[in-house]
Amino acid sequence: MNNTSQLERECHTYTQYLIGQSPSPYVVNRYLDFHQKSDAVRASGFDAFDRFLVSLSARRPFWAGMADSYASVFRKDSVVRKKLVVTLALLECAASSFEALDDVQGLSLAATIFQLSWRALRYSLLLGASVLVFTPVRIVTSLSLKPRALPVLER
Amino acid sequence: MEPIVVVGSGASGVHFALTALRKGRRVLMLDVGHTARGTVRPSDSLNELKKNLPDPIDYFLGSRYESLVLPGGHGEYYAFPPTKQHVFKKPAGFQHRASGFNPIYSFAAGGLAEAWTGGCYPFTARELNKFPFSYEELAPYYAKVAENIGINGADDDLTSVFGWQGDLMKPLDLDDHASLLLDTYKRHRTVLKEKFGCSMGRARCAALSKELPNRKACSYCGRCLWGCPSGAFYTPSLTLDECRTYPNFQYIPGLYVDHFRMDNSGKAKTVVASSAKGEIQEFAADSLVLAAGTLCSAKIFLESIYRNTAETPELRGVMDNRQILMPFVNLRLLGRKWNPNSYQYHQIAIAVENANEHLHGLVTTLKTALIHPLVQTLPFDLGTAVSVFRNIHGALGMVNINLSDERREENHVKLDVTTTPHRLSIQYRAKPDEPQRLKRAISTYRKILRKLGCFAPSRTVHIRPMGSSVHYAGTLPMQSTRVPLTCSKYGRSHDVENLYFADGSTFPELPAKNITLTLMANATRIAEEAF
Ligand SMILES: Cc1cc2nc3c(=O)[nH]c(=O)nc-3n(C[C@H](O)[C@H](O)[C@H](O)COP(=O)(O)OP(=O)(O)OC[C@H]3O[C@@H](n4cnc5c(N)ncnc54)[C@H](O)[C@@H]3O)c2cc1C
Ligand code: SF4
Repeated sequence: MNNTSQLERECHTYTQYLIGQSPSPYVVNRYLDFHQKSDAVRASGFDAFDRFLVSLSARRPFWAGMADSYASVFRKDSVVRKKLVVTLALLECAASSFEALDDVQGLSLAATIFQLSWRALRYSLLLGASVLVFTPVRIVTSLSLKPRALPVLER
Repeated sequence: MEPIVVVGSGASGVHFALTALRKGRRVLMLDVGHTARGTVRPSDSLNELKKNLPDPIDYFLGSRYESLVLPGGHGEYYAFPPTKQHVFKKPAGFQHRASGFNPIYSFAAGGLAEAWTGGCYPFTARELNKFPFSYEELAPYYAKVAENIGINGADDDLTSVFGWQGDLMKPLDLDDHASLLLDTYKRHRTVLKEKFGCSMGRARCAALSKELPNRKACSYCGRCLWGCPSGAFYTPSLTLDECRTYPNFQYIPGLYVDHFRMDNSGKAKTVVASSAKGEIQEFAADSLVLAAGTLCSAKIFLESIYRNTAETPELRGVMDNRQILMPFVNLRLLGRKWNPNSYQYHQIAIAVENANEHLHGLVTTLKTALIHPLVQTLPFDLGTAVSVFRNIHGALGMVNINLSDERREENHVKLDVTTTPHRLSIQYRAKPDEPQRLKRAISTYRKILRKLGCFAPSRTVHIRPMGSSVHYAGTLPMQSTRVPLTCSKYGRSHDVENLYFADGSTFPELPAKNITLTLMANATRIAEEAF
């Protein structure tokens, strides 16, 4: 898979994961443009495990969630989190994705608290699962794999 | 007769200039003067911009994504939008050295207040205690400035804290969250006053609730953070435009003023400035007014003293308000919808006045600010954080708490002549009792918020680095006695006869309040009374 299609795939999966929709072609183009212009996702400080998290997370929203849960505690500044924040930032600036982000169901206070608690519980479970899956991978990658660059577009 | 030469077109400079022009004086204003790109689609609301602009991401995040905040960034809760990046752009080669201080400069037409949040708070008689003039002498100039710029506010519990209660416009419509906070306060007013010395009420803001000539009233379009498209929100470039209508005004942008030369009698004779291409220009000056902002005025003054006398004095007593950012959640608004079509900056203020401290807190409720910098701070994965944030968006707010500062010998600016070009060196040390003051302030505001039905998690409280409030003052203070490195009550230097300071350099003290209304009033006073 070439760099462009890998990045397009990331953008699609991350958008699905964040707002449950497909990104508009405009957002996808901007995601590619970001990777062309910004050093943030090529900078030093990411290693084989980072690379693994990115490529796994791009497969399906479920894996994006697993990688993100793990990174939210153990790799806060990881590339996968940066890429997810980039996606979020692009989505909140563009129609119609900003509406999906702003959309509030307007539930009662009790229903909202229930929903928030459920999300928090779900997160804890996912975090636990991600620790079980990723800790061995992290150990193995730190021993065996050499760092390589992540896909970027040529400037 | 040569014109009065004014350096800088910020809030201080333009109010000085406008007053001098109205008195029939000729004014030559020299400025670096970076400007913004033009306003886009002025009648669109914020969300309409997202829908109608051909490239909204370019508008909101910048063509090089300069307003995108990534994990591991600078620790603030927002980044300045692309439309305001020019406000903080520095001239090539400009350098400084700072210890314990995080200075922010502006070289824009209109200065820092092109990116301000419009809070206009007069100093009270007590807060002007160390100034060499009385509150009564300054009050008419607060009124003049209010008439020029348009300030909205109300006569409520904060009136005694704000002092001057002149000709205010009626306040803007409150958003639902701010309205709920004020209603809750009214129910607990007595206990809040008794326990914490707390008063709460409508903020004073430089935004129009009714139309003025050439400026529309606020339309609640929600675009404040990106720049008001209708002039309803005041910035100094509006006064600069007004100055430009006077035939006795000349404005030359694109010039960085480096120093002034003195004649044998010790008077400033010419002002030396360079263009971006490095061309040197020199302007004759009968009177020179430095209004380049406290730090840049200090740099020009120190550079001139060094060039004319080879001395490198220290300007002691630089001040700034320490600020605490305290995000909070209003538990009763969880899951509630919020209205993007509303005024975006602070609409209410919470003052605390007790035996220990006077504190000034500005409350902003979250509406259209970009959410990605905040979402990433929640203690979840981003998928969960997005979902949680949707439900707490309308319940979020932030108090920006200001602490007072005073002039202290150990805090100084001086010229570092070991580098080429020379650079300003700033040193700031907090007072030893600051940690206790901060702790008390945080604890007090958290308790007040709790009483208002809000929760302020302690881990999200952010103590901003010194320099962040951009209320710089105190380097060449006004005083009645003629002492070197000070100025008279008219801003006239005690070192160089025809040199005046018309910005925060002249303030002998810094209460826990936003400074800019007093900067504008004082510059107006100096122009009116000294020229
Ligand atoms: C985000 C933000 C929010 C704020 N909110 C508030 C608020 O709500 N209320 C409040 O009271 N204050 C607020 N402030 C602070 C306020 O903006 C400043 O106090 C005020 O703008 C200072 O005005 P000034 O004219 O003294 O200096 P500046 O605004 O710094 O203006 C300096 C001027 O001098 C020019 N200049 C500088 N050096 C040179 C040179 N060497 N040669 C030529 N020209 C030069 C610059 O181009 C500029 O035009 C805020 C500031 C920021 C950044
Ligand atoms: S002050 Fe803000 S809300 Fe009002 S018109 Fe200007 S940008 Fe819109």
